[in-house]
Amino acid sequence: MRPISRAALRPYVCPSCRHGVGAGRRRFGTTGSQAPEIYDVVCVGGGPAGLGLLAALRASPVTSKLKVALVESQDLRKARSWNLDSSQFSNRVSSLTPSSVEFLRNIGAWEHLDTERVQDYQDMQVWDGETGSRISFDWSMETSPFEEMRTVATMTENANLVRGLLSRIEASGDENLTLFSNTTVASIENGSDLQTEGPDLSAWPVLSVAPTGAGMQSQSPSRIAARLLIGADGINSPVRSFADISTQGWDYNRHGVVATLALGESDKPTFPANARTAYQRFLPSLGGPIALLPLPNNHATLVWSTTPENAAYLKSLPTPAFLAMVNAAFRLSMTDLKYMISMERSSDQFSHEDELIWRLQHTPQELQPPSAIGVQEGTVASFPLRFRHASQYISPRVALVGDAAHVIHPLAGQGLNLGLADVAALSRTIEYAVAHGMDIGDLLTLERYSSERYLPNAKIGGACDLLHKMYTIPGQGPITWARSLGLDVIDRLPFVKSFLMKNAEGY
Amino acid sequence: MTPLRPQRLAQSALRASRTASRPSYRPTCLLPSTTSSTNNRRAHSTSSVSADEVSHFSGLASSWWDPMGPSRILHLMNPLRHEFIASCLADSSPAGAANAQNSKPESSANLDYLDIGCGGGIFAESLARTIPLDPSASAPTPTRAASMTAIDPTTTLIEIARDHARRDPTVDAHMRSGRFQYLNTTLEDVLSTSTSDSTSPSSPQPQHRQFDMVTLFEVIEHIDPTTTTPQAFLANCLRALKPGGWLIGSTISRTFPSWILNQVIAEAPWPIGVVPRGTHEWSKFVNPSELYSWAQEGLMRAADTNVSRGGPSALDGMQWKCAGAVYVPGLGWKMVPGSEDWGNYFWAVKKGN
Repeated sequence: MRPISRAALRPYVCPSCRHGVGAGRRRFGTTGSQAPEIYDVVCVGGGPAGLGLLAALRASPVTSKLKVALVESQDLRKARSWNLDSSQFSNRVSSLTPSSVEFLRNIGAWEHLDTERVQDYQDMQVWDGETGSRISFDWSMETSPFEEMRTVATMTENANLVRGLLSRIEASGDENLTLFSNTTVASIENGSDLQTEGPDLSAWPVLSVAPTGAGMQSQSPSRIAARLLIGADGINSPVRSFADISTQGWDYNRHGVVATLALGESDKPTFPANARTAYQRFLPSLGGPIALLPLPNNHATLVWSTTPENAAYLKSLPTPAFLAMVNAAFRLSMTDLKYMISMERSSDQFSHEDELIWRLQHTPQELQPPSAIGVQEGTVASFPLRFRHASQYISPRVALVGDAAHVIHPLAGQGLNLGLADVAALSRTIEYAVAHGMDIGDLLTLERYSSERYLPNAKIGGACDLLHKMYTIPGQGPITWARSLGLDVIDRLPFVKSFLMKNAEGY
Repeated sequence: MTPLRPQRLAQSALRASRTASRPSYRPTCLLPSTTSSTNNRRAHSTSSVSADEVSHFSGLASSWWDPMGPSRILHLMNPLRHEFIASCLADSSPAGAANAQNSKPESSANLDYLDIGCGGGIFAESLARTIPLDPSASAPTPTRAASMTAIDPTTTLIEIARDHARRDPTVDAHMRSGRFQYLNTTLEDVLSTSTSDSTSPSSPQPQHRQFDMVTLFEVIEHIDPTTTTPQAFLANCLRALKPGGWLIGSTISRTFPSWILNQVIAEAPWPIGVVPRGTHEWSKFVNPSELYSWAQEGLMRAADTNVSRGGPSALDGMQWKCAGAVYVPGLGWKMVPGSEDWGNYFWAVKKGN
């Protein structure tokens, strides 16, 4: 990795240093009435959505002259210099749809990602652990053998994406760009009318940003005014609270257990040789689906949605038992699985493995995902699954993107893709506004973004919610029959399937 | 597809303001020779307004910049104005002010704009926002504005416009530097003000200030035909234009489809109609062909001087441009080529060099 140049570091000015630089001027009077520094776009949150927006704005010739700032509580320099051995993978991995990748290519960010660390997959196997009904999203069947195979999605580590976006932003130069790293938003309030001295900022959000860390609290915070304040600050968005936008939703009472796994060699050779498959099996009796998504060098990332109790149990298992549970979850019947997940933990180191070997002999095998043979140390973790949707995405001089606007069930791997689609739409909206003399913070400008994104996000979030609810009803009953009939019908009707596949691809 | 007047939601209020508070478009103000009230021009723009209309008008004024208010459709149309101006400039560009720093005048922000009947400033402010803070910088948008002078005879609207402009630091900076100004005045006042840099009286150059671009959005159809003529008004607009400059406007055509939509459907009783009865005066709408001939007449009149009459030679180098715009509910305004006769349309006249 190339070293960060001095010029590249210049925008990473922490507020304490800025304070020192500006100490000579404007020290008199109360700090409260002091004129804030004015920015066109202030983005709170330096995750993939916030950085994606900044990179998109810097990439377009129309919006590249806007004065932009990013406020992030974590250390962006650490994210910029993230580095991991090629045999190791972060456990925070997202599945990027082709349209998300296309967006990243268009803004020139994709080439800044380490593409050795990303993995395309061309096939997706989804089946119901209760009934065995299955649906196979095989893109290669639909295209001619001479064409390049269509990609369902591209597995990308979030850290790789964040580092690439930072690198892209850095490559755009540091003119009109300020990155407030290690900085929290202390307060957001409306500005004041500067009367004869300046403009009327009474309807502008003014942020007080303060450096994090011990010993820094004595510093007086910087004040920055935003023509457009972007909330890319996650599920508990302070920007959303400032804008007084309510949010609806519920907690699924489920946790997603993630881990980076090493896979054994597959029995069946794939055709073509580099084709990769993602596997997802719904386990109604255990509270949600388990998914195995391919990573380079025969690795995979695991996402297992299950009850908090099961998640705690799985995390407490020793590695061999954990691997046995993962392999069992893709192979055994619900009855076997329910037994295995209630076994005494660590009474005997090999009990889970022995159970799996014994029970596999008595289970007919239809589908054989490659077996997991190793867990990367320190990657087993879990996070709560939630559904949230903000009542609106915009307010005067405020726009919400990504998780600040919507949080959905991860079973379709769409969360980050929706966030990037928000960012693409918002950057287009800002571009249009600048080209037409519109105020980029005005509601008339922002409503273009909101009307483009609100319904698609609600539709996909709702579909994921419905799938989750259908597939957490255990046993044999009308819902179970209906959903297996549904999957079978979808699998047999090519046009319905191709419609679903197009939606999954994000087109 | 409904061609509508942009003010369809604000008819009553707008009607009050246009007929009562813009009296300066009447001949008394437009044509100095007929005036009895030119001396108290500013005074009468409020004095002739009845108490009822003032209250009507105050309601409009407070909601002029409300994105969901009665002027919403006008706001939605605004980006198309920029696009139409850009298309005119792409066809033929005025020389603009000489700019030593920039070797490429075609890409530098060097055009002076005059917006006649700016109202609350929807267009004027949006154009002022595109003026670069650094005058030598290349133009950020194809409209290439270097300055904007926006005039309206209505005191309240100018106050609202100035107040709103202060809420944007960029626009506020342009107001402080003088590159953007709102004047509570009439076109005739602008024309009668001598410029300091005009040379000897014998020069054929006009004595008043002239502009590269003059805009006239949703104004011409509000001229009272019983007291003045649109030709006379257009001639004055063209007098304010530098040779080679564009006069650009928008209005509604007077055709059968526009009568059906604007009079019959839009003014139907609730719930079909969205416009109070009597809002539209279809007879005042202007067809593209009429505008074209008035523009020709206006160019010749504008070439008149105290000693000579501008003949057909004033039409040399003239260009004419026209494009229909349609409001599609749910989608917004769209430029639809050939829809000039359905209702709303943009038009432009270029004065020969």
